[in-house]
Amino acid sequence: MNLPGKLRIRALLFSLLAIFAAAYLGAAETASQAVKIKIDTILASNQNGEFDARLKPLEKQLKVLKYRAYRLLKEESQSVPSQGSGSFQIPGGRTLIVSPQDLRDQQIALKVRLQESEKPLVDTTLKLKNKGNFILGGPPHEGGVLVLAIWATVE
Amino acid sequence: MKTCEDIREFLGAWLDGELGQAEADAVRSHVEGCSACSEERRQLDKLNVAIKMMAAPEQPIAFEPFWRGIERRIVERNSWRAELMDRFRGFLDGPKLAWSIPAVIGLAIVLYSLGVWKEETPRNNFAAVESIDAYGRNVALLRENETRTTVIWLYQNQEGDNESSGETSDQSPTF
Repeated sequence: MNLPGKLRIRALLFSLLAIFAAAYLGAAETASQAVKIKIDTILASNQNGEFDARLKPLEKQLKVLKYRAYRLLKEESQSVPSQGSGSFQIPGGRTLIVSPQDLRDQQIALKVRLQESEKPLVDTTLKLKNKGNFILGGPPHEGGVLVLAIWATVE
Repeated sequence: MKTCEDIREFLGAWLDGELGQAEADAVRSHVEGCSACSEERRQLDKLNVAIKMMAAPEQPIAFEPFWRGIERRIVERNSWRAELMDRFRGFLDGPKLAWSIPAVIGLAIVLYSLGVWKEETPRNNFAAVESIDAYGRNVALLRENETRTTVIWLYQNQEGDNESSGETSDQSPTF
């Protein structure tokens, strides 16, 4: 085998090694990663037509709900380890508990429970894209309803 | 007295210094007084000069500046464009191209680990909802296509639903 041929073989082997190393490191990283959970607590109502400027990134998503006014009541983030759980205090004596179950293929499996005092309002299990969000809403609050934008990002 | 014809026979020998003193004096005095022979002498002088020039050793032609000029122009042509093309051709040689593949992979791993390609919001933001338990309440699951948003909505339409909070919503949304 001539010299360029040998170099090509070596380069190919090195490429494969690099790919396996990247896959291994990626898997190890996923297994040990935490998830940043961010909760935007929003009051949606029809009392006036004001839209809180801080909610601009969520404007299109919130307009689906067809309320006239949206106000950001609270913004909270927690770093929650995989298989752990984070607890967020929601206005009206409610608690949102978010538990990342699994991180795979840029998807985060979450268990989400909203409870009022100790009484569960809703339990859901879902998979969210990394850096994605979903909206949980409906509990009444101060003449309007609470809308929770729940974000999950692998750290 | 010699005639012009006689003198012209000796002109060549006289100019070459081959005549004796007396003959040379006779030829000189005739030439100085005869315009035709004087012209003949001038023609012979010119011919002698031409012969001497041809017989003289050849002067070397200065080619050095000429070649330097050519070399300079070749170097100028091989400027940045030619060098770039040479390097590109060199890059396409087998070994370099082969090593560039792992180099690109390594660079991609480094950039990815540094978070260069982390997108802000996923294009497909839909959540895959596996289960919802609203403990007897009505619940709606909406997947909104435009913003690719998943909405889980709890309806407070059960009796005694808001006993603890004493709150009521002004209206539920119509999706």
